[in-house]
Amino acid sequence: MSQFFQATIYGLLQGGLLALIAAGFSLVWGVMNVVNLAHGAFVLVGAYLAWELSRVGVDPFLGMLVAALALFAAGYAIQRLLVNLVVNAPVFITLLLTFGLELLLVNGLILLFSADYRSIRTSYASRSLVLAGDVRVPVGRLLAFAVAIGITLALVALVRRTRTGLAIMATGMDRGAARLMGIRARHVYALTFGIGAAIAGAAGAMVGTVDTFSPADAGRFTLFSFVVAVLGGLGNMYGALLGGLVLGLVEAWGSQYLPGTLVNAVAFAVLVAVLIVRPSGLIGRAHYAARVEV
Amino acid sequence: MLAVQGLSRRFGGLHAVADVSFTVPVGQTLGIIGPNGAGKSTLINLVTGHLRPSAGRVEVAGQDLTGARPWTVAKAGVARTFQIVKPFRGMTVRENVAIGLLYGRQGMRRMTAALTAADEVLDRVGLAGKAAATPGELTITDARRLEFAKALALRPRLLLLDEVMAGLRHTEIDPSLELIHRLKAEGMTIIAVEHVMKAILSISDRVLVLHQGRVLTDGAPRDVLSDPRVIEAYLGHRYARREQ
Amino acid sequence: MTSERGEAAAVPGLTRRADAGRDEVPDGGAARHGGKAPPSAASTRSPVTQRAWLPWAVGGLVLAACFGLQSQLYAGQERTVATVFMFVGLAQAWNLIGGYTGYACFGQVVFFGLGGYTTAALMAHAHVSFWLALPASGLLAAIWAALIGLPLLPLKGHYFAVATLGVAEGTREVVTNLPSLTGGGAGISIPTVGADATTGYLGNDGFYVLFLLLAAVSVLVVAIVSASKLGFALRAINQDEDAAASLGVHTTRTKVSVFALSGFLTGLLGAAYGFQQVTIFPARLFDVNFTVLMVIMVIIGGSGTVVGPVIGAAFLQFVSEYLRQHFTEAHPFILGAIVIVAVILLPQGVVSYAGSAWRNRDFSLLDNIRKYRL
Repeated sequence: MSQFFQATIYGLLQGGLLALIAAGFSLVWGVMNVVNLAHGAFVLVGAYLAWELSRVGVDPFLGMLVAALALFAAGYAIQRLLVNLVVNAPVFITLLLTFGLELLLVNGLILLFSADYRSIRTSYASRSLVLAGDVRVPVGRLLAFAVAIGITLALVALVRRTRTGLAIMATGMDRGAARLMGIRARHVYALTFGIGAAIAGAAGAMVGTVDTFSPADAGRFTLFSFVVAVLGGLGNMYGALLGGLVLGLVEAWGSQYLPGTLVNAVAFAVLVAVLIVRPSGLIGRAHYAARVEV
Repeated sequence: MLAVQGLSRRFGGLHAVADVSFTVPVGQTLGIIGPNGAGKSTLINLVTGHLRPSAGRVEVAGQDLTGARPWTVAKAGVARTFQIVKPFRGMTVRENVAIGLLYGRQGMRRMTAALTAADEVLDRVGLAGKAAATPGELTITDARRLEFAKALALRPRLLLLDEVMAGLRHTEIDPSLELIHRLKAEGMTIIAVEHVMKAILSISDRVLVLHQGRVLTDGAPRDVLSDPRVIEAYLGHRYARREQ
Repeated sequence: MTSERGEAAAVPGLTRRADAGRDEVPDGGAARHGGKAPPSAASTRSPVTQRAWLPWAVGGLVLAACFGLQSQLYAGQERTVATVFMFVGLAQAWNLIGGYTGYACFGQVVFFGLGGYTTAALMAHAHVSFWLALPASGLLAAIWAALIGLPLLPLKGHYFAVATLGVAEGTREVVTNLPSLTGGGAGISIPTVGADATTGYLGNDGFYVLFLLLAAVSVLVVAIVSASKLGFALRAINQDEDAAASLGVHTTRTKVSVFALSGFLTGLLGAAYGFQQVTIFPARLFDVNFTVLMVIMVIIGGSGTVVGPVIGAAFLQFVSEYLRQHFTEAHPFILGAIVIVAVILLPQGVVSYAGSAWRNRDFSLLDNIRKYRL
């Protein structure tokens, strides 16, 4: 039984992190209808930034802020200069553009850092709290989980309570109308993309503290972000939280009871099932129609 | 030609269309009016198969088409125009019309024949000169004519017109009315959803009024349009009292 | 107003011209045969293109040339060109569902992998000849396409792309976890020597011809579909599915059929690839990079055209080979940059761009940016 609890704790902790990884992706998709295939690469850039900083003594939780800022700037520029050029083009054009970006980023990282696995070690992260029944809660993971929840909640507040957030939501619902109201859509889009990248960077720093990472993980992060975004409903930050926790639990329990890597198949089956049955997500309301009306 | 019985459609808690029944005999033109949100477009979508009814029955020429998919309804001879025109933007006007000829009731098999036949249909609606143009190059009036042509290419027995006069100037309305009258003379059964009363009065044999998803009244055009309940539905309580 | 087949009572004179029974290649739309028959040029009443046999003749010549080329190449070059043929076939198969119909399938590799694994399993376990395993693989892939197509094809745009990607990844995991049938993660080998080998290994020369033939079949299928009533329906679905449905097009049946056809062709190529590789692994046969390459080739070449994917596949493969040899380390990096630039400047692809540029005498690339930018 304690194995089940251990798996549940682990699943929840991992789920919070997954939610953070996916939040930016969900936001960008929900507001701009852009599926950013380079999202996983943003996460890794954040991880490597935090790693470099940790090598000169900067604590990764501080490095996280630096990574977030740097990626916000980069994301804003990329959107303004590159992605904006194809916003009105058919679906797979933006997909291909962001895929090309992913190739650039991932291979750039390989060239700079090699494909070796890295991790960020801190003195406190490897310690564990021990709960009843021998269930261990690694401190590092707990901190990352707390940060993840905090940032996600901050994102919800940003989106719902600030003028900027309102502008973002409005532009997401009806770009034309928003522009008529005086909202500068290009700027709002760039802000949104920048925020998405910033969160990804922060998530990357967190990932670095709890796991090993390498440029090869980029695709996996993007794919998980897909699943979480769809589960939670695009653009819905609470949904991303819920989706992340669900995915984390499914993966944790799955690896306990299923052979080998079959647990990934379960994650994808959940994704496909949700898309078929309730494409707007478990609690989401999609701005963009998922289904053909006919 | 068309018999609708107890037709209803719910969206969550909202009854967009509730228990609507009416019949349209062959060759007659039924006008459907009602204030915005009355459920007129939903009603059309229910008949053409774009929406599934929550309850009720739709019969065309004795054939049960309740809940049938749009292509089945089209092949049964029911054509519609869309309120916001939906041309195929990457094809020429001629090709736009050819689709209906190939896949509609006529079910032509060869592309060459269909493209030739398309020219005849375009002649009928007055677009003969624009057969090789793309929809993006058309004026709004011509775009509406194209919608007509696409619908007629289905060789329909029943034609559903969804606000074809919307946004047209008075001078632009007359040619459209002329076309509709020509179709009537050929014996076409028509249902026209409209806001433009001039058009309704001109073409309708009977008028049905929808209000909040239900049938408010139906009868001869002039009677219906001067019915105080109809006026109240459109203009509100105060105007209705004033009219009395 | 009666409306019998072939007769329109209200329009006299129609029956005389209807269905002359000639077998021309009709004027079927903007994107056909590499844009050689632009619709706006057909302003005459008769839509028959004058030199309809020309594209077919050119195609035949190219095919003959490819056969002849074989004797001029070294073994290594032969393998490279055979790979180009494989990608031409794959790109064309994707073009059917992604280009013509507009449903961007991002899980296309699942049909490739299933094709390869069906052949491998049949040849290794049941000792079936490759020439039987080949069509069986295509058929299995087609069946899978129809099965997943039914629930997934009602989804639009990104959702369809992501869902098919999910199915592909999930299928790979399932294949990896059935070791008795597929060898699991350790892979499976097709016996090519000894008593177990039912078909002799085709060798470089044999695979060159096999891939060439499969590519030719793919191109032929796309050409026929493109010029046919079906191709017309696909384009209608692509441009406005609602309108197409209300004009009598059975959109569900059409989409599923095309998806199955696309899967069939992809499965055949997967089978050939499996045999060529002899030993296959799930990570390789279900590699998402195959799908991405297919998509890029079609987009760069020109989606919804016959010639586009051929050009795209050839161009990308040769560029990739060149980069791999001269810039081994940075090659994916440069490829990424090329993809970005190509997608921004030429989103409609080389062939469509060339077609409309020639027609309108307007060669500006920046017009695309103006059209699609925010």
